[in-house]
Amino acid sequence: MNKKKWLSATVISSFLIGSILTGCSSGEESGSESSNGKTVVEMSGWGASPEEQELLEETLASFEEEHPDIDVEFQTISDQYMDVMKTRLIGGEAADVFYLDASEAPGLMSKGVLEPLDEYVTDDFDVDDFEQPLVDAFKQDGRTYGFPKDFSTLALFYNKKAFKEAGLSGPPKTMEELREYAKKLTVDEDGDGKPEQYGLGLAKELARQFYKLDAYGAKLVDKDGNAAFASNEAIEALQPVVDQYRKDKTSALPSDVGAGWGGEMFGQGEAAMVIEGNWAVPFLENNFADLEFGTAEVPMIKGEQATAAFPVAYVMNKESKKKDAAWELISYLTGKEGMKIWTSKGFALPTRKSVAEELGYADDEIRGALVEGASYAQPWQAGENLPTISNNFDNQFTSALLGEQPLEKALKKAEDTANQEISAGN
Amino acid sequence: MSKGHPSNQPLEKNNVNPNYGKRKPIGKALKETMTGYFFMGPAIFVIGIFILIPIFYAIFLSFNKVELLGGTSYQFTGLDNFLRMEVDSRALISLKNTAEYVAIVVPIQTFLALILAAVLNSDIKGKNLFRIIFFLPTVTSSAVLTLIFMWMYNPDGLINHVLAFVNLPTYNWLADPAIALKSIMIMNIWATAPFFMIIYLAAMQDISDSIYEAATIDGANWWQKFFKITIPMLKPVTFFVVVMSVIGTFQLFDQSYIFSGGSGGPNNSTLTIVLLIYQYAFKLLDMGYASALAVVLAIIILVVTIIQRKFFAEEKLHD
Repeated sequence: MNKKKWLSATVISSFLIGSILTGCSSGEESGSESSNGKTVVEMSGWGASPEEQELLEETLASFEEEHPDIDVEFQTISDQYMDVMKTRLIGGEAADVFYLDASEAPGLMSKGVLEPLDEYVTDDFDVDDFEQPLVDAFKQDGRTYGFPKDFSTLALFYNKKAFKEAGLSGPPKTMEELREYAKKLTVDEDGDGKPEQYGLGLAKELARQFYKLDAYGAKLVDKDGNAAFASNEAIEALQPVVDQYRKDKTSALPSDVGAGWGGEMFGQGEAAMVIEGNWAVPFLENNFADLEFGTAEVPMIKGEQATAAFPVAYVMNKESKKKDAAWELISYLTGKEGMKIWTSKGFALPTRKSVAEELGYADDEIRGALVEGASYAQPWQAGENLPTISNNFDNQFTSALLGEQPLEKALKKAEDTANQEISAGN
Repeated sequence: MSKGHPSNQPLEKNNVNPNYGKRKPIGKALKETMTGYFFMGPAIFVIGIFILIPIFYAIFLSFNKVELLGGTSYQFTGLDNFLRMEVDSRALISLKNTAEYVAIVVPIQTFLALILAAVLNSDIKGKNLFRIIFFLPTVTSSAVLTLIFMWMYNPDGLINHVLAFVNLPTYNWLADPAIALKSIMIMNIWATAPFFMIIYLAAMQDISDSIYEAATIDGANWWQKFFKITIPMLKPVTFFVVVMSVIGTFQLFDQSYIFSGGSGGPNNSTLTIVLLIYQYAFKLLDMGYASALAVVLAIIILVVTIIQRKFFAEEKLHD
């Protein structure tokens, strides 16, 4: 009887273990080919508005029509995109093709987890058609790891009604003018010291401030990728931001008025001006239909035009088993045809000159200012250590804005801490 | 239970002998042990895979420089990861924030739980209703709770409106570095105290009425009974409550993560140790240093718990 029990126990447990193992292996194999013999290419990206999602599906559908042997499976990673993506790359579970923001690109390119795309490129693809700085953002050591699918620049959004009420005829042309205008646009009707409408909605993050440095001759990072923004030039560039917030009290952070970000603040009428990107346009049109707003190029900084660009590329996973199909997908999506569909509604701007010309965004009333910026925009990218640098900058810059320490000290502390963390991590 | 032995042996004569089992032939004893382990097998398997191996692996990682992206590699670096904390200003800030959080939340939370339990233990009307109402916050998921509180903490939110209405100063609960951590403290005390209240309440109902009756005959009033009988009798429970809240508060993560969107801001004011571990592990992929931080956190909790044990054991009423 004992023997029998042992026997049955052994049989059952081996059966269980066996089923676990087969469960694992079948999981790995699934997805490489769908039942009808098509190659399945997985693609990951972050979430977007429903309209944008629809447009992406439309683009992918037209790709599948042209390539009947390839099936594209798009997965949305809705939160903490890079954390998820890196973890999947380590685990060998990353999609064949995925979005990559320029600011994160150096970190991934140097680790050798991306497939260099130079060998795949044909003359037909016409690399020269791309805006050069946007492709350069995804190059390292002469190799191209991704092609930009679209980008956004920053532009000044202004509330036309508020401008009219303040007696202002048009948007400010220089940063000095912007500060003067902001004084006129700050409205505190009940006199409680807390304006109902601020002149400017301020985004304090480094990603939204760094483009001011260049005009003053200041640097964000040195050639080794260490933080280098604690210079007199950088103080000169950023002091007006702090002064406007603390002394003039004509700018406000979104958190001061209980908004999540600048676009929300602007839409709710808490700020008469904000410097935001392309992403704010559909947001404002959808949520604040009554709002009358205009856009203008970012006011000149010390006589120079400057703005930031945020390019996003399609890159290929080096571990991908379907590289040829993956390239077909990338080359279609960043090619003239695919990009035309994808950027047709203006959620993001085309990175190809020919497509931009054809779609005519330069003449668009709202998007014109954003397109204009493309020629002189600085991509948001500064080496592998950017996450550490911007984290420390954001913390210390906040504390300078709150008046806990002068800007000079804040920048020094941010630079020192960032460089300490960088050297400790290497 | 009354049938005694769990194995399928027939009852033996020496069943009542306290040394039963030791005298059995080795083969049988071994077989019995094997059977025991066989039945525990699934549990050992699960605990081993999901608890023991990760613990040892984390300790191993904490002594290595780990490279994950683009080919995993380990490089033994001795105590480097631990020495790095000394110069890591964010590690020190996170430690300070966490310590402040523990030092404020644990006493208030324990005290509040005790008071609430004492009130509910008295013969007030509708105490069942109050028990349910008080316990409700504990049932809510902490993520949902945090999101709701963030709405209430909004500069134009409910809490500032109420404060302004009664002419108290209003605060920027979420964005002011001096306030942000305190906002989380308030929320957490409100949410966790009722859980410990239930534990206190159960313990209070376990205290024999005869002790209180004797005290009444001796002329003790309610306060004397509370301080001289209830609190001393609750000491083992208080130990449990304090240990659990210390561990829980040291592990503060989800609330500050949601509050700051993962950054620990504004100005590092809501950066806790666990949040820092998360940032190093998954944002910077520095698993070695993150593991070292985790090991240090485990040691801190261990030491604090041992100190508490010593502290509470001195006058323990019954073992």
